[in-house]
Amino acid sequence: MGLAPRFALDLEALAARQRELSKELHPDKFVGRSAGERRAALGKAIEVNEAHRALKNPLTRAEALLAYLGLELPEGQGPKASPQLLMETMERREALREAARKSDEEAVTRLFREGKEEEERLLVELAQAFSQAAAAGATAKSPLAEQIHEKLGNLRYLRRFLDEANAVMDELF
Amino acid sequence: MLLDIFDPKAPPKAIGIDLGTTHSIVSVVRDDVPVALVTCDGTGLLPSVVHYGKHGHVIVGAAARSYLTREPERTISSAKRFMGRGHADHDTTELTHLKLTVPKNEEEARSVRFDLGDRTVTPVEVSAEILKSLHKSAVDQLTNVGGVVITVPAYFDDAQRQATRDAGRLAGLEVLRLLNEPTAAALAYGLDKGKNGLFAVYDLGGGTFDITILELLDGVFQVKSTGGDSHLGGDDVDRLIAEQMLSTMGFEAGATVAPEVVSLALGAARDVKHALSDQEVVEATLPKKGGGDVVFSLTRQELAELVLPLLSRTGKASRRALRDAGVEKEDIQGVILVGGSTRMPAVRKYVESIFDKELLTDLDPDLVVAHGAALSAAQLSGEGDEFLLLDVLPLSLGVETMGGGVDKILPRNTSIPAGARSTFTTYADNQTGFEIHVVQGERELAQDCRSLARLSLKGIPPMPAGMARLEIRFDVDENSLLRVSAKELTTGIEQQVEVKPSYGITDDEIEDMLIDALEHGEEDLEARRLADARVEAERVLLATEKSLATDKDLLAPGEEAAIGEAILALKKAIGRGDAGTHVPATKASTVQVRLDALDDATKSWAGRRMNRAIASALAGQGVDVVAKDVNHARGVEAHVEEHEANRARKN
Repeated sequence: MGLAPRFALDLEALAARQRELSKELHPDKFVGRSAGERRAALGKAIEVNEAHRALKNPLTRAEALLAYLGLELPEGQGPKASPQLLMETMERREALREAARKSDEEAVTRLFREGKEEEERLLVELAQAFSQAAAAGATAKSPLAEQIHEKLGNLRYLRRFLDEANAVMDELF
Repeated sequence: MLLDIFDPKAPPKAIGIDLGTTHSIVSVVRDDVPVALVTCDGTGLLPSVVHYGKHGHVIVGAAARSYLTREPERTISSAKRFMGRGHADHDTTELTHLKLTVPKNEEEARSVRFDLGDRTVTPVEVSAEILKSLHKSAVDQLTNVGGVVITVPAYFDDAQRQATRDAGRLAGLEVLRLLNEPTAAALAYGLDKGKNGLFAVYDLGGGTFDITILELLDGVFQVKSTGGDSHLGGDDVDRLIAEQMLSTMGFEAGATVAPEVVSLALGAARDVKHALSDQEVVEATLPKKGGGDVVFSLTRQELAELVLPLLSRTGKASRRALRDAGVEKEDIQGVILVGGSTRMPAVRKYVESIFDKELLTDLDPDLVVAHGAALSAAQLSGEGDEFLLLDVLPLSLGVETMGGGVDKILPRNTSIPAGARSTFTTYADNQTGFEIHVVQGERELAQDCRSLARLSLKGIPPMPAGMARLEIRFDVDENSLLRVSAKELTTGIEQQVEVKPSYGITDDEIEDMLIDALEHGEEDLEARRLADARVEAERVLLATEKSLATDKDLLAPGEEAAIGEAILALKKAIGRGDAGTHVPATKASTVQVRLDALDDATKSWAGRRMNRAIASALAGQGVDVVAKDVNHARGVEAHVEEHEANRARKN
C-alpha cells in the first residue's frame, strides 16, 4: 500500500491509502465501462482491500513482515507461546466461562479489557523487536528472531481468547 | 417502452427505489434535489401489497390493500420478509393471513411459494410486480428512465440479495446497484447537511432492522460495521397487538383463525399503533367471536412494555455493531433514525438510552432511503455530486468443514469488494470429485448458518489422497453478492464448477417467467435483449472514446489500429457506421460479439490505465505520509504478492 514495511504501522495512514485507492478503483467508478474494464477494476479493488485487511491485522502483518525480513520459521514449526502466558490465558479462559455462565456483564467486560491491555503491551514489544531485528539484519536462527516468534505465539493465543470473549459478549449482551 | 430507450432528446434519468416491507417509494434527483415521484395510487408511498385477481389481473398498492380482508389469500403483503427464503425457513407459528404451498420436491422447497388457489407465486414475482408499478410511474413522469438503484437491508444475506436482484431483472429493469438502506439514508443526510464524523444509523422498518456505524469523511461514506435482524420490524409490533386483540375478540391463543379475521386484526393493530404515536390511549371496536362487538383499548405505556423484548434485540445488535467498529458510544456524533417504526415514541426513547445521543430526525424517515438511492443512481449514471460509498459484508462467509463446523473465509464487516482464497486437498486416493458447501452466518455449526450453495467439482485427475489441491476463490462485489470459482493447483487446470444455489429461483426459471409475462414471448424478449445490448454498446463506445482522448499515450504499438477496427465494427452493428448508413444488426448476439471483441482489444490498455490511476492515487498523498515511507515504498502488488506467497507457504 505504499507504506514502509514495519510493524508499528500508522493505521490511520493505511486507512487513508485504502480510501484514496478506492476513489480510483471502486466498481462504482466504472459503471458504464466495458465488461473487461469493470472486471479489471473489481479485481484491483479487491486486491487493495485484501492488502488492507492483511496489513491491518497485526498477526498477518507480522507474518508478511517476517517473510519480508527472511525470518519465517520452516513449515510445521509455528511460533510457540510462552508457558507463562499459556498459564495466564488458561486462567482467564476459566474466569470467562464462569462469568458467561452467570451472565456477569461486568466481569466479561473486565476480562476483555484486561486482555486488550495485554495485547497493547505485546504489540509495542513486537514493534520494538521488529525494528531491532531489521536494524541488526537478524537471521532466522538469531535470539532476536526467536523473541519475535515467541511474542507472536503469545499474540496469537491472546487473540484467540479475545475472540472468545467477543463471542460471549455477542451472545449475551 | 422500447421507444423511450431510443428517445434521443433527453438523457435517461436514473431512479432510486426503496423496496420496503410495507411501503415502496421511487425517487429521482431533480435540480440536485431528490424528490419522491407520485405512485400509481396518487401518493408517493406505495403500499407493498399485490393482489392477484381471479381473472388473471394484477393490482398493486392501495387498491390491492383493500382486498386484504376480502380475499386475503390472493393478496400478498410483506413479501419482502420471504425474499430468498426456502420453505423450511418459514416460521409456521407466526400469525399471517397468507397461505404457503407445501413443496412437492427439493426444487420447489428452494423458495417460499404463496398459494393463490389456482396458481402459486414466489416472493420474487410479487416484488417484481411492485418494481414494475414504480418503474411505470417513473416512465409516466420522466419519459426516459435509465438504470435503477434498489435498496436492501444491510443485514440481507446473499440469498436475499440475489432474490432482490432477480426481482429487478424480472421487472425488466437495469439494476445499477443494490444499495444498503442505512448507507442510502446516510447519503441523503450527509449530502444534505455536509456533515463529517462518526454516525450510527438505526433503521427499524416494517419487517427488517439494521444498525450501521459509519464514518463520513469529505464525501467518502465508509461503513465501519453493520448488524441487524432481517426479520424484525413494525410487522412484529402489529402481530403482538393483533394477538392481544384476537384474545379480546374471544379467540384462544393458538386456535386456528380464518385468514379474513387475521387480516382484519392485523389491519386494526396497525391503526392502533399509528394512533398511539400521537395519543396516550386508543380504543378500537372489534367484532366479537360469535357476534356482537367488543372494545379493545391500549395505552402508550402498555405498548411500550409490549415492544420491549423486540427493542432489546435491537439493543443487542447495536452494542455488537459498536464493538465490531471498535468504537464507544461516546465517539458517535449523532444517530440517524430511519424507517416508519422509529416514529413510535417508545422506539425513540429506547434508541436514546442505548446511544445517549442526539437523534437526527429532520428528514422524513419513510423517504430518506429512497432519496439516498436516487442520489446514488444519479451519481452512477454520471450526474450529480462526487462521493464514494464503501460498504462491508454483513455476515461472515465460510465453508463447511469435515466435522460440520464452519471455516470462515471472509469475516463479517470485511470491506467490500472483497476476495479470499482457500485451498482444499483430496482425502481419498484417486478422488476425482469434490463437494464444497458454502454457508453464511455467525453460528459455529454449518447447519445453523444459511446455506448458500453447493459446489461440485469434477474431473480432477486421479492421484493419491492429499496430492490434488483445489483453490477456491470467493469474490464479493460491491453489492455484497458472492461469486465462487475454483482451480486445480497441481495441474493448473481451471475446473468447471457447478454452483447449485440453495435458495431462490434459477436463471432458467427467470427466463421462463419473462417469456410468459411478455405478449409475444421469445420475440419480445429478443427485442428487449437487442435494446439492452445497443444501450450497452453506446455506453462502451462513449467510455472508450473518452479514454482514447485522455490516455492515448498508454497504447502499445498496433493497439490503436485494433481498437479502431473494433469500434468501427461495433458502430456498424448498431447502425452508426461512419461511412454512409449501415443496416443495424437485428440480433442481440451480433452486437454482443462485437462488444466482446472491443473488450478484448482494450483489455491490456485498460490494465495500464488502471495502474496509472493507482500510481497517481498514491502520489496524491500528503507530504508527511510520503516522507515516512520514501525509503521502502512499494506498490500494492508487492504487498499482495508477499502476502500470497506467505499464505501459499502456510498451506
